[in-house]
Amino acid sequence: MVAAETALAILRTRLSNPTFAHSHLKSSSESNYSKLKFIVSSSIAEACNNSVLLLGPRGSGKVAVAELVLEDLKAEHADEISVIRLNGLLHSDDNCALKEIARQLCLEHRLLFSKMASSDDNSQFMIDMLRECGLAHKTTIFVLDEFDLFTQGKQRLLYSLLDALQTLTSQAVVIGMSCRLDADQLLEKRVRSRFSNRKLLFIPPSADEMQRLIEHLLYLPKDSGLPTKFVTEFNSRLSNIISDKKFKEIVNSISAVDGTISNLLTFLFRAVSYMDVESGFLMMENFKSAELCMQKQPKIDCLQAGASVLDLYILVCMNRLEIKERNSYNFTSIMKEYKAIHDAYKTSDNYAFTVCLRAFEHLLDQELIGFVDSKGHNQSIDFRPVRLLISSRELYEGLKSNPLSPAILLKLFDHESYK
Amino acid sequence: MANEETKTLDSTPRRTTRSSSSSLSLSSPQKPSLNPPNPPPPSLPTDLLFSAQPITLDQLLSNLPGRNPQILEVLRLIGPLNSPTQPILLYGGVSTGKTSTILQVFRYLNRPFVYASCRSCYNPRILFESVLNQLLRHRRSRSSGFASSKRCERASEFVDLLRDALLRVLNELKERRGGKGGNGEMVYVIFDNVELIRSWDKSSLILCLLFRLFDILKIPELGLIYISSSTPDAYYSMTGSIGPNAVHFPEYTLNDLHGIFMRNQENPKLYSSFLSVVLKPFSRVTKRVDELATAFESLFRKYCEPLTDLKLFPDERMKRRLFDYIQPHLTASLNETFDVPVRSSSESAKDGDYTKKGSIRKTVGGNDSLAELDFHMSVSAKYLLLSAFLASRNPATLDAALFDSTGGSSSRKRKRKSSQASIDQNDHKAEEILIKGPGTFPLERLLAIFQCITSLSEEALEEEQLQEGKGIENATVGLMSDVLLQLSTLCNANFLCKSGSCPLDGSRRYRSTIDEDFALKVARSINFPLSKYIYRR
Repeated sequence: MVAAETALAILRTRLSNPTFAHSHLKSSSESNYSKLKFIVSSSIAEACNNSVLLLGPRGSGKVAVAELVLEDLKAEHADEISVIRLNGLLHSDDNCALKEIARQLCLEHRLLFSKMASSDDNSQFMIDMLRECGLAHKTTIFVLDEFDLFTQGKQRLLYSLLDALQTLTSQAVVIGMSCRLDADQLLEKRVRSRFSNRKLLFIPPSADEMQRLIEHLLYLPKDSGLPTKFVTEFNSRLSNIISDKKFKEIVNSISAVDGTISNLLTFLFRAVSYMDVESGFLMMENFKSAELCMQKQPKIDCLQAGASVLDLYILVCMNRLEIKERNSYNFTSIMKEYKAIHDAYKTSDNYAFTVCLRAFEHLLDQELIGFVDSKGHNQSIDFRPVRLLISSRELYEGLKSNPLSPAILLKLFDHESYK
Repeated sequence: MANEETKTLDSTPRRTTRSSSSSLSLSSPQKPSLNPPNPPPPSLPTDLLFSAQPITLDQLLSNLPGRNPQILEVLRLIGPLNSPTQPILLYGGVSTGKTSTILQVFRYLNRPFVYASCRSCYNPRILFESVLNQLLRHRRSRSSGFASSKRCERASEFVDLLRDALLRVLNELKERRGGKGGNGEMVYVIFDNVELIRSWDKSSLILCLLFRLFDILKIPELGLIYISSSTPDAYYSMTGSIGPNAVHFPEYTLNDLHGIFMRNQENPKLYSSFLSVVLKPFSRVTKRVDELATAFESLFRKYCEPLTDLKLFPDERMKRRLFDYIQPHLTASLNETFDVPVRSSSESAKDGDYTKKGSIRKTVGGNDSLAELDFHMSVSAKYLLLSAFLASRNPATLDAALFDSTGGSSSRKRKRKSSQASIDQNDHKAEEILIKGPGTFPLERLLAIFQCITSLSEEALEEEQLQEGKGIENATVGLMSDVLLQLSTLCNANFLCKSGSCPLDGSRRYRSTIDEDFALKVARSINFPLSKYIYRR
C-alpha cells in the first residue's frame, strides 16, 4: 500500500514535469539537446555572439530542452552566464519587454531596478550592460519563448537586441522558440539580416523512440527506497504490458492524432492516475480507459446524452433547412419547418413558441448551433441568422445513439427529399 | 464604488454561498445560514481550506447523485496527498454540477485551494486581482478602501506576482506541515466559467495564458483546474493543440434526475408518484435541473391540492385520482415551463398564484388569447408601441394606403392589391421578411403613424361619446404630449431598439422588437383594431 502510493507519487511527478521526459534524450549525440548545447557552449567558449531558433509544434519539448541545456551550462560555468527569460505571451509589447529585461538584468547582477525608468533608459541600460558583460567575459543568454509573438508590431525589441549583438564587445546568445515553422520569415528585413539562420527543428519521436521513452518514464528506479521486491514485480508486470501488441496499438492510435511528447505525457498521466492503489500495479485496463478518454468526441457525447427530444427536433429542422440549400435561415424559419413537420405527422411533441425558443437558447449555449455573424446585437434572437455547428453525419450518429430520440426524427432525417 | 462594494460582500461568504446555492436548486434543507455582512468576517480562511466541516467520501458521493463516476475520476486525476497533477478541465452543459462537484471534492479532500469565477470577475484585471487577493489572504474592506492587495493589469505582472504569492503560500504550508500536516503541500487554483473569457477583449491572449499557466510558472506544487460549459474543442484554436486532461460531465439521465429530486423530500412516496407522472414529459423538453425544479415546485403544490393530509401514503386508486387531477395542468404548464414565479414578498406570491391559476384555467379552456398585460403602461406609450410595431412590420410604401383619411376603405383596397400580385413573388418576399425580421424606420415615420392612429381613435371615441351623449373631453387630451420622452422610455425597456443610422441622411433609425402576440395584447387593452392595419401577404 505505502509502496504503491510512493510509486504513484514518483510516476506522477515524472509525468507532470516535461524536462524529465527529455532528459532521456540527452545521451544521443544526434539529439537537439546536444546540438543546442554545442552551439551555446561554443559561443561561451569563443566569447562570440550567436542566435538560434528552435522550431516545432506545441508540446514537442522546445522549452524543456532549452531548460536542460541551460541547467547543465549553469552547472559547468556558474559565474559566466546570466539568463534572461521572456515570453511572447507576456512581453510582446516592446516597452514592457525592455523593462522586463532591465529588471532581470538588475536581479542577476544585484543592481537596483528603477520602475520609473523610461523605455529609452531601459534600452540604453541593456546595451550598456551587454557591453560591460562582454568586457567581463560573461555571456548573457536571452530565451524568447513564443518568438513569433515578438514579431508583431515594429519589432523594435528584436532589432535593438540583435543590433547590440553585432558589436564585437558584446557576448550574448539569443534562443528563440516558436511553434510557427515560418517564424524567421516573419522578421523584418533589417532584423533578419542580423539574425543567424541557425534553426533546430523538433519533430515527433519515431515509434522506437516512443517505446524507449515510455520505458524511461514508467519503470520504477531501483534506488528510490522502495522495497526491491515490489520494484521488480512492478517492472516485470509493466514490461509485459509494454511488449503487448494491444499496448502498441493504443500508443499508435494516440500518436496518430498528436505525436508530440507532451500528448504522450498526458495520456500516460491519465493512465497512471487510474492506477489502483490497492493492488499497486499498472494494468492494461488503465491504459485502455485512458485511451477512451483521450478519444472523446464532445459534440456527439452532447447529442447522445444531453439533448432533449425538443432539442433534437430543432436540430433536425435546421438540418433539413440546410439540405434545402437555404443560404441563411433563422429561428422563425426553423419554427416554420417545425410546424410543417407537425402538420404533416401529428407528433406528440408540439410545443409553444417560447418553449422552443428556450430549447433553441440551450442549443446556443451548448454550441451545437451558432449565429452566423457575431454582431447584430440589436436584432432580437429569433431573427438573427443561425447555422449548425455540427456536420449532418455527427447529427445522424447522435440521433441513432440517443436512446430518447423518436423514430420519426430518423425518418425525417433520412428522407430529406420529402417536401 | 457601489459595484465594488457588492463584489466584496459577495466574495466574503463565498465558500458557503456558492455551495449552498448549488444545492439550493436541489431544494436541500442543509441551507447554511448566510453570514450577514455586518459582523466582522468569521475566521479568515487563513489556510485557504473549505470553510465548512470536511465530509467523508460516502457523504460526498451521496450528496451528488448521478455524479459518482465524475467524482471518482476527478479524485484520481487530482491524486493522493502531495502528488503533482497536470491541469484538469471539467466540461459539460449548464447545471450539470461541475462547480458544486469540484467544491465538494475539495471539501472532502480538505486541501488549500483558490476559486475564481470568470463570471463575477468579468475582466482580466479583476480576475488576476481576485486570485492574488485570495492567495495573499487579503480582504477588501472599508479600512483598506476596498482596494486589492496588488494592482495588476498586465498579464506579465500577474505572472510575476502570482509566482511570488504561490511561493510564499507553499513555504507557509511546508512550515506548518511540521506541526499539523494533513493538508498537503499543494495549492490548487480553480478557474470557473472559462468559456466567458472568449467574449473579453484580447480573449485569445488571456485564454492562452490561463491554459499555459502551468508551463509558464513551472511550479509543480500548483494544481490548475478549469471549469467550462463549452467543450474543449472550443479552445483548440486559441491555445495551440495541447489541452488539459478533460473530464466530461454529461447531462443527467432520467434516473439521476429522479434521484436528485427525491432528495430531502418530506413524503418520499407521494413525491415519487408525482415524479413518475411529470418527469418523463418534462424531460422531453429540457433536462436542466434548475428549470425542472422551478416547474415542479408549483406543479407539486397543485398535485397535493386534493389531499387533506400531506403525510399520507398514496395507494393505487388515489394515485389515479391525483393523476386525473394534474393531467390538464400538466399539458398547460409544459408550454409555460419557464415562467419563474416572482416572490418578493408573501403578498405578491399570493398574487402570482392567483394570476397563474387564472391563466392556467384559460389555457385549459383553449382561450389564451384573452390573457392580459401584466404590467402597467400609459395609454400614449401603448399607442406609440403599436405605431412602432406597425412601422416595423408594414412596408413604408403602404402607409398612405393604410392610413388615408377614410380609414375603413383601406382594407378593401389592400386585398385587391395582394390578389393581383404574383404568388411566386409573394412567397419570395415572405421568406425575405422571415429572414430579415422587423424592419427599421425613421422617427418621422413613427410620429406620422402615431398621429394617424391616435387621431383615428380620437374620432372613434368622439363618435362613441356623441352616441352616449356624454362629453368627457379631457380623456383624449395629451396623447400627443411628450412623445419623445415616451420613446426613450420604450427604448430603455427594450421594446424598441435603436439600430444604426441611415447612411444617406444620417438620421437615427428604430426597430420594434415586440412580437405579434404582445402587440395584439396591447391593442386589445386600448380597444385598437390592430389587425386592420397589419399588412399581410
